[in-house]
Amino acid sequence: MKFIAISILFLASAGLAFAADIEAGKKLAAERNCATCHGPDYYSSIAPTYPRLAGQHEDYLYYALRSYQVETNANYGRKNAVMGSQAKGLTDKQMRNLAAYLASLPGPLVVKK
Amino acid sequence: MYFAYEWQSGQAMSAILLAIRNLPFAFFMKNSSFVSRFNSAKLFLVLVLTTCLGLSISAQAQDLKGSAEAGKAKVWLCSGCHAIADYRADYPLVYHVPKIGGQSAAYIASSLLAYKKGERKHPTMRAISASLSDQDMADIGEYYAAQNKSSPINPMK
Repeated sequence: MKFIAISILFLASAGLAFAADIEAGKKLAAERNCATCHGPDYYSSIAPTYPRLAGQHEDYLYYALRSYQVETNANYGRKNAVMGSQAKGLTDKQMRNLAAYLASLPGPLVVKK
Repeated sequence: MYFAYEWQSGQAMSAILLAIRNLPFAFFMKNSSFVSRFNSAKLFLVLVLTTCLGLSISAQAQDLKGSAEAGKAKVWLCSGCHAIADYRADYPLVYHVPKIGGQSAAYIASSLLAYKKGERKHPTMRAISASLSDQDMADIGEYYAAQNKSSPINPMK
């Protein structure tokens, strides 16, 4: 019984430790001036070639940020002047927080045939 | 490819206007701290340059005039992944493939072009984009940009 209680406690704390922090992501997005290009609501981008981010899948946003860090990787790499310089200074945790924040916002993105 | 396109005065004008629009933001950020001052000055420069580049790409795409109606028949390859809710891809980094309905048309076209040119490495997307013409990319972009919560299911899926 004690063992079960302790393992539940341990698992719960591990879950908390790995959960992305939306508030931290919001703060970081402001610090990094993401809205300058992607728009204050993160879907009204200033140029049509910049993507709408609000409401995008969280794990995809994280993957995309990471892909700009490993730009020559044969499977994941993405080469882009702006996003490369923006993403390279970010830690893994910061990217997860940013992704969680952007995914939490309301936006026009849908899955459609 | 970008440089083959001739700028019209209207497009140059909108690039300058966009740059000016961002100017107050750069100055506003200037007052906060050294770090963000450095960042915003650098970001502002990059912004001006890429906005010009971005506009020239989108202007080129506009030159092609994508058609959502024509795109309808060209998205059958996309829907194998992007039309399936909760579909995940890749190993070891597994993630949901992005939602592209309601995305900006020019962004979809420029991403496809980036895969075709090898600036984006994802093998599946590279293989698919290799078979697409600039006109196909513009049409696919317009098709997905036109999608929303209430748009009907593509009968040509």
